[in-house]
Amino acid sequence: MKIGLEIHVQLPTKSKMFCSCPTTGTETVNTHICPGCLGLPGSRPSLNKKALELGLTIAKKLKCTIPETTWFSRKTYFYPDLCKHFQITQHDTPIGFDGVFYLGKKPIRIARVLLEEDPGKIKRVGNGSSLIDYNRSGIPLTEIVTEPDLSSPSEAREFLSELLTEIKSTIGLTDSGERNIRCDCNISVGSERCEVKNVTGLKNVETCLKYEAVRQTKLIKSGGKIERETRHFDEAKRVTTSARKKEFEADYGYIGEPDLGIYHVANMAKSIELCESPLIMIDRFQKEYGIDEKIAKQIVNTSIELAKLFEKIAKITDVDTAQTWIMGTISANWKSFEKNFEKYDDIVTIISKFYKGDTTDTQCNLELKTLMTGVSAEKAASISADLDTIINKIIEDNPSFLIDYRRNEKAFNWIVGIIMKQTRGKYSSENIISAAKKLIEERL
Amino acid sequence: MNVNNITTINTTYRMFSAFTDKIESDAKFTFSVSDNLTSKSFETSAGSKILEGYRPPFDSTTIRRMKDVGGFLMGKTNMDEFGFGTFSVNSAFGIPRNPFDIERSCGGPSGGSACAAAVFDHVSLGTSIMCPASFCGVYGLSPSYGRVSRYGLIDCGNSFDRIGILSFKASALREYLPIIVGKDVHDPTSMIQPDLKLGGKKMCAVAVPKQIIDNKKVSKGVIESFNRSIESLKSIGIDVEYVDIPTLEYSVSVYSIIATSEASTDLARYCGMRCGPQDGDYTLKFDDYFTSFRSQYFGDEAKKRILLGTLIRMAGYVDKYYNKALRVRESIIADYKRQFERFDAIITPTMPFISPKFDDVSKMSTLDSYKSEFLTATPIVTGMPHLSVTCGYSEGMPIGLMFTSDHWNENVLVDMAERWDCSFDVKHAEVNA
Repeated sequence: MKIGLEIHVQLPTKSKMFCSCPTTGTETVNTHICPGCLGLPGSRPSLNKKALELGLTIAKKLKCTIPETTWFSRKTYFYPDLCKHFQITQHDTPIGFDGVFYLGKKPIRIARVLLEEDPGKIKRVGNGSSLIDYNRSGIPLTEIVTEPDLSSPSEAREFLSELLTEIKSTIGLTDSGERNIRCDCNISVGSERCEVKNVTGLKNVETCLKYEAVRQTKLIKSGGKIERETRHFDEAKRVTTSARKKEFEADYGYIGEPDLGIYHVANMAKSIELCESPLIMIDRFQKEYGIDEKIAKQIVNTSIELAKLFEKIAKITDVDTAQTWIMGTISANWKSFEKNFEKYDDIVTIISKFYKGDTTDTQCNLELKTLMTGVSAEKAASISADLDTIINKIIEDNPSFLIDYRRNEKAFNWIVGIIMKQTRGKYSSENIISAAKKLIEERL
Repeated sequence: MNVNNITTINTTYRMFSAFTDKIESDAKFTFSVSDNLTSKSFETSAGSKILEGYRPPFDSTTIRRMKDVGGFLMGKTNMDEFGFGTFSVNSAFGIPRNPFDIERSCGGPSGGSACAAAVFDHVSLGTSIMCPASFCGVYGLSPSYGRVSRYGLIDCGNSFDRIGILSFKASALREYLPIIVGKDVHDPTSMIQPDLKLGGKKMCAVAVPKQIIDNKKVSKGVIESFNRSIESLKSIGIDVEYVDIPTLEYSVSVYSIIATSEASTDLARYCGMRCGPQDGDYTLKFDDYFTSFRSQYFGDEAKKRILLGTLIRMAGYVDKYYNKALRVRESIIADYKRQFERFDAIITPTMPFISPKFDDVSKMSTLDSYKSEFLTATPIVTGMPHLSVTCGYSEGMPIGLMFTSDHWNENVLVDMAERWDCSFDVKHAEVNA
């Protein structure tokens, strides 16, 4: 089985690709529009440099060859959401080609990476009528095209998932909205392939490929012949249906976009520095520090900054100490700390004091909490004292609890629930759990 | 010219598709533009029914720049639909008539602008202005491609289109050119231009392509005038030399192939949605709606160019025609560039004949009409600046002489127009109103 994907990812720019309209979502339809992204007569495109930069970053990340120069093309077809009836895209000179992405040890070849504009959105309102929202018209997209190197629907999904994690961290795409990922899936079990257009989201990609694999296999077994064609995926029914035969495929009549110039991208690409990707970092953590894959993943996926802190602490103390504190107190208070990056080195100092034996486990813990939450040591102590009082009261108010708990430890979850309800988020669940455990154990 | 007569004058000459006679009192000057420049104050249709009633939400950069210095936009001038034509007869809103003989064409596509420049004492802006300048006996300056922002210019052929100046007065070129040139972030192709510097270098030596003179396509009257102007140029101290530029003869083909390819994509947006009339049958499927709408509202010449341009872009033809034309275009540019190592300008007649009578225009084949642009096609294809001046009269009709200079060298042309004006007696058309 051979599977190749064409993946469309929205690039996180502030303004659209060829005009200055904002890209941020808006509830109101047709508000983020101008003569440019409406394609009104006399309007002209003007390239958003940031989109080019992000596209090049992705191309570089995927180890593509970057050409000396690149330009845009017009892809002409008639559809109501495409206001100029040609899409500005890349045809002869994609910003990157002949790249590769490693899925574990397996190389998946990347045929090309290109930039293009998104059309508007069609909303069907029944009665055979549709409305069009042009807010999306002109949003920058990058299209990543793989060679048919994927060999199963599940592998395709895994590939997509890892690729997206990498790309998101590379270009700083924070929005995890899977719906923003659109895929054209090419699959063949025999000699001829079919293309399923515009599949949204990882799960749908896998479902649609599975369906196609079964459909094509059955068809061949029953003596039928796969015809080259474009198909649609019906999300509700989870099936693909024929859209048009390939031999009638539209001829897009590409010509160069005369309103935009030629861009010298080789030097621009050289000046782009790639940060270490999460996948590589996870891999390196395992090799360099000998830590568990699961733990490495947890640290890196929480935050790249947390991973960097881990490295700093490990350098000054040892891996075990770093792992204990990073996975324990530091992770627990990471959310409230995340905005205080200037206090980074203080954490390292606190832990090194403990490592040298200058402070005890408890002191170190308290100091870290104080630093990270910004609450003073006394207050932290008094807050925890308050918490102890509340927990004791709840235990005493519910005499049957200790009996239940002795019979079944799951009763613990029940009491934690009550404490959380009463304290209304004043304490972190970690603190509640550890305090409750301590107090209950004392009473047993 | 008394502006109170505009309505009467326009009834005779039909230069305007839309105009106003309520001139603002604080206006420093009035001007007109061809109807392919978008304007907030007038509907903009580019001579096409498919844009009838369209009121743009923005002024083109050129109009804005003219208004910024106190100009008052008096009217939009009739033109060939989207700029497709040589005689302004492909206009949906009236065919402009030549001020020297109303039975004859003003030339095209910006015929209305040349007519307005000849009849009113004002400057008119338009695209592809050489033929109209020649036929209406006015000065016409088309700056280098990329010199004047095309933001707000409705496309005819994106890689050729240029906005130029038409005026009866040679001095208007020096006056208005600096206003309309300059970088504009809304048009990336305008962003690489060097600053415009008027003055300095003067024209000393010009080249005449032998191919033009040997060509039987140029009428006798035009050749005689052209030869006399060579003598006039020599008399004011300019060296004239005959040179061989063999690639010249491919310009019309290159232009037709690339321009129709570009136009066929530009015109794709007109479909009865978003702008222009929207009175089609909404019960049709969208592609049937588009087809019926486009069949109804595009003129014949626009349809012809869409078909030709679309065919050229199709697989199997794109390399044979479009990509080849791009390469030939480079050769033509290189051939012209080589001449500018020794000469300041290349001169030819502007058009091979004087303005034809409308009767004769209707008898011309499409191919003959395309071919009649074989002299103006080269500067258009090369993107080089060019100037048309009146160099003689035949049967009472003006004849144009065209100078083409190297990219960005508008200064020698502006200077030449003024020198020519001093030594040649340019006639005003007698206006009947």
